[in-house]
Order: sequence, then C-alpha cells, then structure tokens
Amino acid sequence: MTELLKIENLNKSFGALEVLKGIDLTVEKGETVVILGSSGSGKSTLLRCVNFMEIPTSGRIAIAGKPVGTERSRASGRIQVDYRESELIGIRATVGMVFQHFNLFPHMTAFGNVMEGPRTVLKLPRGECEARAETYLSKVGLADKMHSYPAHLSGGQQQRVAIARALAMEPQLMLFDEATSALDPELVGEVLQTIRSLADEGMTMLIVTHELGFAYSVASKVLFLSDGVILEQGAPDDVLVRPKQQRTRDFLRGHATYKLPDLAIT
Amino acid sequence: MEHIWDFESVFTNWRLLLIGLGNTVLLAVVCLGIGLFLGLFIGAARYSKNRLLNVPASVFVEVFRNTPALVQIMWFFFAFPIISPFRIDSFTAATLGLSLNTAAFCSEIYRAGIQSIHRGQWEAAKALGMRYGEQMRRVILPQAMRRMIPAFMNRAIELTKMTSLASVIAFGELVHQAKTISTIEFNPIETYTVVGLIFFIMIWPIAIAVRGLERRLSRHE
Ligand SMILES: Nc1ncnc2c1ncn2[C@@H]1O[C@H](COP(=O)(O)OP(=O)(O)OP(=O)(O)O)[C@@H](O)[C@H]1O
Ligand SMILES: [Mg+2]
Repeated sequence: MTELLKIENLNKSFGALEVLKGIDLTVEKGETVVILGSSGSGKSTLLRCVNFMEIPTSGRIAIAGKPVGTERSRASGRIQVDYRESELIGIRATVGMVFQHFNLFPHMTAFGNVMEGPRTVLKLPRGECEARAETYLSKVGLADKMHSYPAHLSGGQQQRVAIARALAMEPQLMLFDEATSALDPELVGEVLQTIRSLADEGMTMLIVTHELGFAYSVASKVLFLSDGVILEQGAPDDVLVRPKQQRTRDFLRGHATYKLPDLAIT
Repeated sequence: MEHIWDFESVFTNWRLLLIGLGNTVLLAVVCLGIGLFLGLFIGAARYSKNRLLNVPASVFVEVFRNTPALVQIMWFFFAFPIISPFRIDSFTAATLGLSLNTAAFCSEIYRAGIQSIHRGQWEAAKALGMRYGEQMRRVILPQAMRRMIPAFMNRAIELTKMTSLASVIAFGELVHQAKTISTIEFNPIETYTVVGLIFFIMIWPIAIAVRGLERRLSRHE
C-alpha cells in the first residue's frame, strides 16, 4: 500500500487557544478514516488543516509522498513550515471537501456547480467540463436534476451535488465534515450511500461524522479525538465495540442512545 | 397676486431644454460609470489588510461621504485648478466631484453586498482551489451584485438629482438652462415647474423599479 497522507506532529492554535496538540496520522491510499469526537474537540480543524483551509501552526503534512511547504526548523519536535499560497491552491484542487451546509453556489444549476471547478480551476476545455459534470452527477444519482438550481433541490440532493462538485476535480483525497448533520433524518441515508459507494471504489477519505453505524460499516480506521489529541485509534471493532479509554466509552454511550437506527444502514 | 400662466414661453426654448437634458443625462451616466468602476477598487482597497491601501481608501470615502457634493464640485472648479497644472472646464469639474462622490458611496454598497454573502460560499470556492480573484469573480460578486442592484439604482437617482448642483459652475445642464430661459423670458414659475417635471419623469420610473426589485429580492430570500 502507498501512503497518501502523512501528518506529523500537527499543532494548530487560534490565538491562545490550542485546538490541535500534536496529531500524528498516516492514511494509506484507498483507506476510509472516520474521525469521532465531541463538539469542540478539533475534528473540523483537523480536516481543514489537511487541505490548508487553516494553516497549521506547526507540523508537517505530506500528500502522496510530497511534503507540503518548506521546512524552516525542527526545534524540540516542533516542525515550523513556510507555505506558499500558490502551492496551497494546488493542494486544495487535489483534495475534495464536503461541508455540513453543502455550500452550493446558489446562482448556478447543479450542472454549473459541478462544472465550476474543472472550468475555473483546472481550466479544462468546455466539452470536457460538461462531460465531467454529467459523469459525476450521474454517479451521485442526479442525472435528472442537472438543470435544477440548488434552491429547488432537497437537502440530500444538494449534498449529493456538493459531493459531485468535489469529485469532478478528480481529487486524490476526499474530506467530509459532518456531511449529513444538517439533513432531515430521512435524507441521511441517500448521502451515506453515496459516500459508501466511493469507499467501495477505493477513494481515500477522511470522514467526520456522528453516524456511528455508518462509521462502523464503512471505516477502515476510526480515530477518537479528544481535546486536540488522538485519544484512541484502530479498527472499527476496536474503537467502537471495545474502546479502551473511558472518554471514548462515555462518548459512544451518549451517542448510542439516540443514534441506534443508523445501525440498520449497512 | 394674479399670475397668468405662460408655458408657451418655456416651450419656444425647447432647444435649450433639450441640450440641458442631454447634458444632465451625460453627466449622470458618466459619473455613474466612473463611480461604479472606481468604487469597486476603493471598496476592495478599504477592506484589504494592507494599511498602505486601506488607510488612503478610508480617508477618501470618509471625506467624500461627509462633505456636501456642492462643495466638492466647487472645490474642483475653483480650487483644484490653482494647485494643479490642468485647466478644468465646468464639465470636468462636475464630473470629478460627482464621480468621486459616487465612487465613495458605491464602495460602501459593494462592501455591504459582499459582506452579505455567507462565509460558506468563500469556503466552498476556496476549497475547490480557486484563487482570491476567482472566488470573487465567479462566486461572490455574481451573488452580491444581485443584492446590490437596488442600492446602485438609488445611487443613480441621487446622482441624477445632484447633477443640478453643476449649475453653480455654469455647466449647461437642465437647471442652468432653466436659469437662462427664465432670465430671458422672465418666467421662473413656468420654467422651473417644467424642469421639475422633467426630473420627476426621469426619476420616478427608476424609483418604482427599485421598489419592485426590492420586493422581488426579499421574496426570493
Ligand atoms: N477560526 C477560528 N477561530 C477561533 N477559534 C476557532 C476557529 N475555528 C475553530 N475554533 C475553535 O477551535 C475549537 C475546535 O473547533 P472545531 O470546529 O475544530 O471542533 P469540532 O470538533 O469540529 O466541533 P463540532 O463537533 O462542534 O463541529 C473550538 O473551541 C472552536 O471554537
Ligand atoms: Mg466541526
């Protein structure tokens, strides 16, 4: 297997607030890593550091074997890195991100949304952008909604368009930040199934979710994040069924009470 | 006092009025064009993190928003030529004053419009790999523009009314022409009534359109 993502001693602070405190993580190509943790534990911040929506305070991130940025110093374990914006823009184009609130472009149709990245960022010829938009909208099961505006789509459909929009960039890594948290319960399934099919096709993914049943069935590795550190990680059976840490147990118990129906989705 | 209405004496001077109308429209259109264009850059400069850009831009906006347009026009006509090597005619002075004034107000409209766009839109655009300019041009401005249109139309209305200030530096727009006609014909009542009506006919439809647009926009959000 090849290493697609390697995070080394990643720290991120906002002013005096230390959010990530020394994250080490390696993700192999084709792996699906699920990140769990209570609110404020730093899950979103971790994802956002991976595509440099947030600039890490220190630490090294390598994508597909290529370290991002230029290392300035490595004093007492803290790795200081200088980044060039042009390099980060290139990274973002190869890492797809799906947001909790979809963030579709409301002034473009589903088709326009999906074409936008290939057109504006990759600067591909128009015909190829259209072909990609068709391919990926069909892939998420929305071939018949191509010409609808986001306002006329259900939440589940909007989120699937957002997934297609990210896929159209043909990314090497996909990040999902609570992709189903804003959806009505009956719309969660269709989005999870779309993500699931990506996992089956071998897409490498980092997924933040509160859907434990989904996490159990789709993850190759589960991380439990607590106060900015990875408290526990391993196979779904180890972390979700036989957690070693008390905090993990408390978290799982708290969620199991009302998240149980999700377990039916396999 | 009995007044005998004599609109005939106004209409025999229709050529003067027509020239005045042409100049009013010309001044308004030119100043709106320049104001919209400059305003975008001034707005961008004002909210950039670079102090060399945002300080001068803020000073500019505050000065033009907090002094009378009449003073601005007179300043460019009477004061500016003394300290600059240029000769300035009344059209140039009026254009300078009113377009800079409009730019100052437009920069604030751009800012409010852009700030009204949800953060998530910037994020989605950035996450796709867009550069700042691309985020702005492809995602933010097209949405913000739609919301700014009523405000820009209000600006156009204000500007059209402000063109009449250029009469004080003898630019031949409608009010200046009216002054001329009423001096020749001794008919200020009729002349200024007609000029008032001309302004009203030009502006009122825009005002109605603005109200319609605002209603439509609020329904869609
Ligand atoms: N841009 C920011 N500026 C300042 N503080 C921030 C910023 N982003 C996040 N934080 C803080 O960092 C901490 C971790 O936030 P983060 O969003 O990563 O948590 P999370 O695990 O995703 O939580 P949730 O489950 O609520 O989404 C929080 O205390 C949050 O307030
Ligand atoms: Mg979060």
